[in-house]
Amino acid sequence: MATVEHNGSSYEVDEDGFLLKGDADWDENWVDYVKGVEGISEITDEHQKVIDALQEYYKKNGIAPMVRILSKTTGFPLKRIYELFPSGPGKGACKMAGLPKPTGCV
Amino acid sequence: MGYDPNNPMEGRITDLGPKYYGDMLPPVIKNNRGKWLYHEILEPGVLVHVAENGDKVFTVRCGSPRLATVSYVRDVCDIADKHCDGFLRYTTRNNIEFMVDSEDKVEALKETIRSYGNQFPIGGTGACVTNIVHTQGWVHCHTPATDASGPVKAVMDDLFEYFGSMKLPAQVRIALACCLNMCGAVHASDIAILGIHRTPPMIDHERITGVCEIPLAIASCPLGAIKPAKATVNGEDIKTVKVNNERCMFCGNCYTMCPAMPLADPEGDGIAILVGGKVSNAKSAPKFSKLIVPFLPNTTPRWPETVKVIRDIVEAYAKDAKKYERVGEWAERIGWEQFFEKTGIPFTDKSIDDYRLAYDTWRTTTQFKFTSHTAAYTE
Repeated sequence: MATVEHNGSSYEVDEDGFLLKGDADWDENWVDYVKGVEGISEITDEHQKVIDALQEYYKKNGIAPMVRILSKTTGFPLKRIYELFPSGPGKGACKMAGLPKPTGCV
Repeated sequence: MGYDPNNPMEGRITDLGPKYYGDMLPPVIKNNRGKWLYHEILEPGVLVHVAENGDKVFTVRCGSPRLATVSYVRDVCDIADKHCDGFLRYTTRNNIEFMVDSEDKVEALKETIRSYGNQFPIGGTGACVTNIVHTQGWVHCHTPATDASGPVKAVMDDLFEYFGSMKLPAQVRIALACCLNMCGAVHASDIAILGIHRTPPMIDHERITGVCEIPLAIASCPLGAIKPAKATVNGEDIKTVKVNNERCMFCGNCYTMCPAMPLADPEGDGIAILVGGKVSNAKSAPKFSKLIVPFLPNTTPRWPETVKVIRDIVEAYAKDAKKYERVGEWAERIGWEQFFEKTGIPFTDKSIDDYRLAYDTWRTTTQFKFTSHTAAYTE
């Protein structure tokens, strides 16, 4: 598996760029790295709110929240989430938050 | 402007949907849309539709392997350019149809098609075995229990005579899915080829924490065989799952949800055969296909066991069924015990449903025919 180097830290990632060890490896520097690959110019408070909501839900429940739940807890409609994370809540926000890669028929 | 990876949203076009189908219709189709009177099958693979004003469109249907290269598609386009003013269509079973607007153009079109050898076999109409709806297999998917393109080629090679002829009692739809996600049509096809596993998943405790949402893996199991568990990895306690192998029926759903639970196994994996499904409402209601052969090995590259079973079914059906009768209608008319007798397929306990609503599938009547199978039970 590949290793990503960014600002002196290294991260083990899979072929789609998701953290292989999840929150054990996650830090702010990872957010900064994903920002670049996901085409996000700046991490705003709104980005942070989505990341926090995902991490909090994941720590509590062991799964990523359903899209409707993410919208409800953050107050952002799906359209806004796509504006914040052009790749969407799964490939964009979950990757940045250090959650496991979404599975199933996607 | 080309795509700029540093500015991915710049000049991005989205939500266009597919191209409007009306823009790609041959003129004779466009002019007579909604005004067709009747159609005929002139010969295997060749149809004619007649419109109210007397316009005719002749359609030549060809088999395709579904998985095709761009040069194959260019060959298709060359034929369409030469004879059909550049128009063509693909059917819902991935056959190719070339259309011309007069009868004297048909022979030249067929001549060109034949000049490609067997690249574009003409057929697939009427009471035939048309193309096999199939899936990814080992070409592209990560959950298959068998290949798709390989068995499809082997089966169609064997049944090729039925593609270019119309001598069956009714059309026989064959479908293949490489795992029981059943992408495609296997759950409702006359004959279905289905990839199955026979071993429970192996749990990779070292990876599971990072790559799995454990509650999803637990909830994915139709039999409740997966439980949360603790394990020690490198001296550290981690959350993982435990599989009750006695309860597992090897569906592979948990692997779909959790990459740390693989279950593919070269000896364990193979093919199950189901028959008797249909989707049309003609005469009888749509039916699900039923399991008749629980396991056949993955014998690459020609799957001879699978090919033989399917031929046995098709031949027994062709010999015994009445005109217009689909495989499922035939089996239900003669009774499934007779179906097993006439096809020579051994009945096994694996065909007896034991999942939740199983009771309704058992025989709650004294009506049955004596066969070698019932004899074995009553001895």
